[in-house]
Amino acid sequence: MLKGLLYIFGFLIAGELLTRLFNLPVAGNIIGMLLIFIALKLKIIKLKDVKPASDQLIKYLVVFFIPYGVGLMVYFKLIAEYWIPLSLGLVFSSILSLYISGIILQKFGK
Amino acid sequence: MNDLFNVPVFGVSITLAAYFFAINLRKKWNYVLLNPVLISVAVIIIFLLIFNIDFETYNIGGKYISFFLGPSVVALGVFFYEKYEEVKENLKVFLVAVFTGGIFGIISIIGFLILMNIPEVLIRSLAAKSVTTPIAIEISKLVAGTPEITAGMVIAVGIFGNAFGPYILKKLGISNKLAIGAALGTAAHGIGTARAFEEGKLPGVYSGLAMCINGIITALVTPYLLQLFLGNFT
Repeated sequence: MLKGLLYIFGFLIAGELLTRLFNLPVAGNIIGMLLIFIALKLKIIKLKDVKPASDQLIKYLVVFFIPYGVGLMVYFKLIAEYWIPLSLGLVFSSILSLYISGIILQKFGK
Repeated sequence: MNDLFNVPVFGVSITLAAYFFAINLRKKWNYVLLNPVLISVAVIIIFLLIFNIDFETYNIGGKYISFFLGPSVVALGVFFYEKYEEVKENLKVFLVAVFTGGIFGIISIIGFLILMNIPEVLIRSLAAKSVTTPIAIEISKLVAGTPEITAGMVIAVGIFGNAFGPYILKKLGISNKLAIGAALGTAAHGIGTARAFEEGKLPGVYSGLAMCINGIITALVTPYLLQLFLGNFT
């Protein structure tokens, strides 16, 4: 678990470092995600070393974004003012996205 | 009394307590609107309003919890490595499906909101509405959106996909379970993925992978698409 966490934090720092060094328009944790995938693929690190920590983080992922959800209270007025077009947009765009992904895989997948 | 709320342990405790309450509620009644995140957020907001505590005070502790979003995104890379073998036979089609669905999702929401004359900060906050919350939050920060609005809308999209996604897809003629899985993960991230697992293990894995891939694609293209539609942010 501890070793896994250390790896995960290591890749996170590496990601943050790369974003800053090269001024990348992508967040450091996303670079970290790509790096850890590559490291696993190239067998630089072992799945069994990181899995205990990563499974726990993913298990409680939803808890970690609760504070951001609570932050919505600050913007309540703004959302309330535009809630109809916002909801329409979200529904329309989500259905479009669902349909396009679904139809492509259904038509051309095995 | 009031400075009790100013210690970090307050925000941490109320978050854990609310979540604990929410998952127990979900166990009792398995109803889609009883989504644990939605209930936790609602319970905490009501508590803060009743006791007249502002968000900043809550977030003294709350930020210790949201800190873990960073490493969680890295953990998704591990999940991806573990599972991607399972989509191998469909890999190319799968990537095209997620990519196309993901891109259309971003362009359609930006376009729609521009047509509706919505304030720019909301457009910037909603562009990444389909991807998993921790990635959406990072994108939102990067493109000068408001991460809190992003988080709220992303959760709403997830609940919509979870509740109505499979029904809408079937109505539109998509009956293939793997296609439903990929669609849910692309459009409705982790909350949609929870629903995909109800359709079966493999649809669930397809959905989880679609969530990771769309997260990466959206993170890479959203800044450019916003720049294209809205121009540079200041």
